[in-house]
Amino acid sequence: MGHDSLQLLPGTLYLLILRTLAAGPRHGYAIARRIKESSAETLAIEEGSLYPALNRMLVKGWVKAEWGVSETNRKARFYRLTSEGRKQLASEAGEFDRLVNAIQMVMKTA
Amino acid sequence: MAYGKELWRRLLYLARGSRFHSELQDEMQFHVESRAEELHRGELPRAAALAQARREFGPAARAAEDTRGAWQIRWLEDLASDVRYSARALRRNPGFALAAVFCLALGIGANTTIFNLTTSFLFSLPSARDPSSLISIWEGGNSAASIADYKFLRDAHIFEGTAGLNLESEVNWRNADQTSRLYAGLVTDDYFSVLDVPFHLGRGIAPGETATAVLSDRLWRGRFGGDPSILGRELILDGKLHTIVGVLPANHRTVFGFGYSPDIYVPAVRDDQMVNFYARMPVGMTIAVARARLESVLQELDRLHPKQSWKRTSQIQVTAVTGGIASFGPGPLQQALAAFFGLILAVAALVLLIACTNVASLLLARASSRSRELAIRLSLGAGRLRLVRHLLAESLVLTVLGAATGLLITFVCGRLLSSLTLPLPVPIQIVAEPDRRLLLYAIVLVMVSALVSGLMPALKAVRRDANGLLKREQGQTGGGGGLRSVLVAGQLAVSIVLLATGFLFIHNLLRATSINPGFDLDHTIWTSMRLVPERYPDQATERRLVDQALERLRSLPGVAAAAITQRVPLNDSCGIVTAARTDLAPQLVPISYECNAVGPDYFRAIGIPILRGREFASQDGKGVPAAAIINETFARIVFGNQDPVGHSVVMGGGFTMRVVGVAKDSKYITLGENQRPALYESYFARDRPMNLQFIVRIAGPPAGLVKPVQDALGQLDLTAAIETKPMIRALGLALLPSQAGAALLGAMGVLSLVLAAIGLYGGLLYTVSRRNREIGVRVALGATPAQVLRVVCRHSLVLVGVGMTIGLALALLATRPLALFLVPGLRTYDPAAFLAVVGVLIGVALLATLVPAVRALRVDPMTALRCD
Repeated sequence: MGHDSLQLLPGTLYLLILRTLAAGPRHGYAIARRIKESSAETLAIEEGSLYPALNRMLVKGWVKAEWGVSETNRKARFYRLTSEGRKQLASEAGEFDRLVNAIQMVMKTA
Repeated sequence: MAYGKELWRRLLYLARGSRFHSELQDEMQFHVESRAEELHRGELPRAAALAQARREFGPAARAAEDTRGAWQIRWLEDLASDVRYSARALRRNPGFALAAVFCLALGIGANTTIFNLTTSFLFSLPSARDPSSLISIWEGGNSAASIADYKFLRDAHIFEGTAGLNLESEVNWRNADQTSRLYAGLVTDDYFSVLDVPFHLGRGIAPGETATAVLSDRLWRGRFGGDPSILGRELILDGKLHTIVGVLPANHRTVFGFGYSPDIYVPAVRDDQMVNFYARMPVGMTIAVARARLESVLQELDRLHPKQSWKRTSQIQVTAVTGGIASFGPGPLQQALAAFFGLILAVAALVLLIACTNVASLLLARASSRSRELAIRLSLGAGRLRLVRHLLAESLVLTVLGAATGLLITFVCGRLLSSLTLPLPVPIQIVAEPDRRLLLYAIVLVMVSALVSGLMPALKAVRRDANGLLKREQGQTGGGGGLRSVLVAGQLAVSIVLLATGFLFIHNLLRATSINPGFDLDHTIWTSMRLVPERYPDQATERRLVDQALERLRSLPGVAAAAITQRVPLNDSCGIVTAARTDLAPQLVPISYECNAVGPDYFRAIGIPILRGREFASQDGKGVPAAAIINETFARIVFGNQDPVGHSVVMGGGFTMRVVGVAKDSKYITLGENQRPALYESYFARDRPMNLQFIVRIAGPPAGLVKPVQDALGQLDLTAAIETKPMIRALGLALLPSQAGAALLGAMGVLSLVLAAIGLYGGLLYTVSRRNREIGVRVALGATPAQVLRVVCRHSLVLVGVGMTIGLALALLATRPLALFLVPGLRTYDPAAFLAVVGVLIGVALLATLVPAVRALRVDPMTALRCD
């Protein structure tokens, strides 16, 4: 983890995974890379913690997992959003926006 | 809902087992290697790239552990391990496990059996598709109406389907040269299709059919040997050929409930036949809407075909068809049934309480002998809660085993009861099948029993100080001794209450059996003759037959008298609630009386003395005013002290009868009933149904004359079904409440005695054997065996004495409300019963004390002192 990378707020890992999977099914490594890339390397997650999170989401039924073949032609497990997952993404994203807006408002005015 | 799906996914995970782990390993390895590959392409040496990738991934073992954690059902896995551990512990101690499971099996089995009986008897949904959309319809306050009315209602098409059923019909079945009476259900031709009744063989009676028949399982097995090729066979029923088209399954339940099930179903063919109406509401219709629609149709019917004295719309009742206790509607009968079954369920619950106490006291004893093990586990850091949970798992394992055995008992009992043909003058067939309700009840019982029997010993076992326990135990009686004594005493108290109740009901049965019914049971024969209606188109032909029959009966050698009657007491009854006055005073007296219609010589034949006036004579026919004979109670209520003979009784409606005689009181419905007023009218005063009942009085014992009586009537009409039996064997309904009460509560009492005796024996045995050391010391110090025995016995007797005193006091209070179910005059306080109970329990207590005490005395004092 680089010195300039940010720690995640608790609970936001789910949101990031959901958002990443909204574009289409990906395997675990691709999810991690996508989060890192799209945050311009500022958000770094401990990659191992991705798997407990993904499995908790499987239990909740937000995502489904299937075995497939990766771009490097290896066996990999692909995660796909379910309709419940999409609903969850919509509600969590909305909540997150409101939270961030509220914090920003406080920071600017106080 | 969401939680349920989640649980389901977690359970699927459990099923995947080790495959899950290897897949997770593969997945994480793929992740790390992909990253390493990427770093390597970014010109890092392969080894360094792999190390870097591993660093970025973080500790893989923890990730795997957390991932597994995401799926685990914590409590289930803990429970599974607790149960495994308990099962092992119990296997090491099979005597203890066997005793506990035996007690619980008896306790739970008693409860599930009673529950099964209660639900199948009182709440039996009829065998039909979607019973919740079925309704029962009463017009004009009558449960039954004519087929003509039925057709009008059916053709109004306000319901999805309308059907009629009369469960109380009969047919004569002519089989070779024998004619027998069958209990028949008279149905409209669409009955089976409207209700959509499931069949074992074939189908129901179809619309348009007038000569088909459906057999019950009982008739099919009993009279046709369960012949699988029965369909298409023809039967002569009431002189007409009927083709068998279907056989109902053994678990068929009628819309009436109570296991009431006719032998055979035949279609109604005449417009004047009476049936109860049932209808199936279309989807979305409510009972209120059904009622409103029905009202408008019945208004139309009243307008087109008015009834003389009543309106069909006057008391319309529309009720859901639930079968069983709801069939009666609110009233004293419903209350009595509910109270009786409530009582038995409560008694069964107390039996289970005794069983649980046994197990609790066994667990306490076990906990104190395992206290060293528990103390070690506590001091090694096991959580108290964890230990309690573990100990509870042990009682859960015991109760589950007990419940499984108990359900087996229930199943066997249900099978036995279902195969019984009850000796009743009504076709009742118990259908006690285990169902979902029973399973649910058993699960609740398991949880409650596991808690009741296990919680207290478990808490007690872990509450003690670990240090103290690790030291060699000093006390002689061991931990939980006081608590166990309380349990034993409490258990004694409860079992005395139950035993007292059981004895009371057995005593009640004995008393009821010896009650004089007020007529002669020993020198009378009852013979009934069911005629085929079509053969007797008018009253004159029927009257001719009655006269011929009486003449034949009276001319038989040994016959002293013979008479015809409409109802045979204790087998059939008719209650009338009205108000009556005499010609002597204008005020009406409310009265609820038994009615019967009897022919000349009835009172002499059945042996009821006429106290004043005379019997009916053959000229007491359709004259005005009609002649009446009243019993003493009726006379006292209506006439007071005046002599009623020669005066008139005027009923509330204005109908007047002249009293020609006063008969002695007798019993009418049950032997245990309070004395009822009764009024007899002449048999020939009105038209009677085609069911003739004769009472024949003979000089000697009746057995030898049964066959001659049967044959004498049989020659009169080959199509008539004749049944002849000595009156003494025709007490079916009369003793039913007392018998059912005595059988069920007596069995519960015995069960509680067995359980309490086991508990008492086990408890005392354990307590005394824990005193081995003390006994050793006493003997070493020079006490004689007699002195030692006195000390030990005193302890036991004090315990038993306390329990019994409490129990007797409770029993006195608890049995008082039971007077409702008992023969009048029987006191609920029954000293003989109480004495017997006390004697049995003291005997058990002494045995349980002396056996271990004597054994302890035989042991060399030195050995006793050395061992614990």
